[in-house]
Amino acid sequence: MIAPAAIAVLLAVGVAAVWIGVLGVLLMPGFYRRLHYMGVAGTLGVAAIAAAVLAQERLHAPGIKTLLVLALLLVMNPVLTHATARAARTREFGDWRLQPRNRRDRQ
Amino acid sequence: MNLWTITAVLLLAALAPCGWICLRGSPQRPEEDVMVRLMGLETAGTVDVLLLLVLAERLHRTPFFDLALMLALLTFAAGLVFARFLERWL
Repeated sequence: MIAPAAIAVLLAVGVAAVWIGVLGVLLMPGFYRRLHYMGVAGTLGVAAIAAAVLAQERLHAPGIKTLLVLALLLVMNPVLTHATARAARTREFGDWRLQPRNRRDRQ
Repeated sequence: MNLWTITAVLLLAALAPCGWICLRGSPQRPEEDVMVRLMGLETAGTVDVLLLLVLAERLHRTPFFDLALMLALLTFAAGLVFARFLERWL
């Protein structure tokens, strides 16, 4: 049996990560800086909360479904971040690849 | 108050800033307005999936875990479709 204190710590870490991510998306200036904070909620928050549910349920049916959700979200977030950044760059420059004449790309 | 209930309430409260991002967009930089709103939607999707997980655990209903799984799949597909649509046609 895993101690309830461990579950409480995992849930607290998860909620804190989700809030940091959401507040970062809300408050940071500039699109790409905001996009970074989506990853905080999407990886650390997801992993901590799914781990808490797993610690509670072990590998019974809910635990296995939680594992599926965890795997899906951990794959989903980088892909979504990449797709969103790519769409933003395409809208801005007409193409998502490196733009040698653009100041932001030369830095 | 149960530990899971508190977590669910805090996650539910985290949806409010996401909704605000979707509503407000980016007034300072109109050129990335739509993308910021899309980002708010994707963040809200992630928070929603976690909220459904925690609620299913709190209510002790095994079928409710399927809701989280389905929402994760749909959020993924919706985000990709939205991003590709905004990239190509708008």
